Amino acid sequence: MKYSYYPGCAQHGTAVDYRISVEAVFGRLGIDLEEVKNWNCCGALHVPDRTVKTGLSARTLASAKGLDMATPCNLCYSNLMRAHAALEDSALRTIVNEALTEKYDGNAKPKHLLEVIVKDLGLPKLTEHVKKPLKIKAVPYYGCLLTRPENDFDSPQNPKSLDELILSLGAEPAKYYYKTKCCGGPILITDEELALGLAKELLVMAKETGADCVVVTCPMCHLQLDAKQKAVESKFNIKIDLPVIYFTQLMGLAMGFDPKELGLSQHLVPTDKLIAKIGGRP
Amino acid sequence: MKKEPIIPESKDSAFREQVLKTPVGEKILTCMQCGICSGSCPVSQEMDYSPRQLVRMVQLGLKKEVLSSNTIWICTTCFSCSVRCPRGIHPTELMETLKPIAIAEGITNRNVKFDTVFSDVIKTNGRASEFLLISKYSMTEPGMIKQLPFGLSMMAKRKLPLSVDRMENTKELGTIFKLGEKSREKK
Repeated sequence: MKYSYYPGCAQHGTAVDYRISVEAVFGRLGIDLEEVKNWNCCGALHVPDRTVKTGLSARTLASAKGLDMATPCNLCYSNLMRAHAALEDSALRTIVNEALTEKYDGNAKPKHLLEVIVKDLGLPKLTEHVKKPLKIKAVPYYGCLLTRPENDFDSPQNPKSLDELILSLGAEPAKYYYKTKCCGGPILITDEELALGLAKELLVMAKETGADCVVVTCPMCHLQLDAKQKAVESKFNIKIDLPVIYFTQLMGLAMGFDPKELGLSQHLVPTDKLIAKIGGRP
Repeated sequence: MKKEPIIPESKDSAFREQVLKTPVGEKILTCMQCGICSGSCPVSQEMDYSPRQLVRMVQLGLKKEVLSSNTIWICTTCFSCSVRCPRGIHPTELMETLKPIAIAEGITNRNVKFDTVFSDVIKTNGRASEFLLISKYSMTEPGMIKQLPFGLSMMAKRKLPLSVDRMENTKELGTIFKLGEKSREKK
């Protein structure tokens, strides 16, 4: 299995722990992620002009060299998917291609890494690599942009792929009605008070399920729920203390990796108790 | 925001037509005001006008009220409204469509400032480095200094590198950033 790989900006900064776990886990599974050279930012949610954003994603997709393009980030994934759909329009494609050296041809299909695992690799194949079934309860949190507005591997409002992944690793997915509710990440910098209110709601409800951790698929969700958890605790005067981990880290733990090889020491909410429960060394 | 009664003079048919001819505009007139968008919105309680109200205001051409409301900037772009609208109206995409129009009209606020900083960083470097973004944004928003302890806690975990991530070659980006103007000219 081989994909062109678009890491997105966060992998070089706030989501370095995600990157470490992706490299470890995908390497072990024999899935080749070939990083495209000279990739550019997708525009996230902060380049206000839609056509410009389509152009940014088109440029990235045009460099895929005949392979499908995998990405670890929900924001990047949604921008690539939206560009891929919008560029079906030939008039728009002509305008965008005038700006590109390497032309967009629509052949590279964007895929989130979760989709690569659950759909392309398949969960039965993944379970062959499970060395240590996880006897824990985990909250599946999909966020917004993994399934909305465009995706073709799961339901936009009631997705199940992450629940199934958790189950296949021996863990129990918690029933979580907030699994696609917004974490507030996109407005964190400009309206922190409101953003923390949204994160609080998610964290309180996640805690109430009695789970050992929350599992995420996006660097922005992770920033909100892990890095900003302390800010939520002090603003609302509550105790959460709930580890938030990437789905690739959860996979790595079940596949028998040392937690250090998965970037788990780089979280702001300590993961020691979770690791101890799984039976690993922190 | 103080809400004024709607008077016939508030209605701007040119603005209404401008929005209706965009890709998201074609279904705007089919809105039946059911409100599922506002009910699905995680932040509608903080908005000057809820998504449902905003769609109606676009139908009426209330340019000033629409473009100066906080609604289009508070929207977290979660697309919950868009996947639920029984008319297929896509209110999230409507907010996105209204942003460049508001900026062109000279509207400014924290979000516009951040989006401007973000776009400049991408145009120059091709990639978004968090430290560079936040430092540049802090120049326009001194209140960001309160985030210093948070920044330090991220640095302690090696998650906020001071180095700037750059593409090797950014020459196409200038042309891509002109695409917005270009696609509007062709309409």
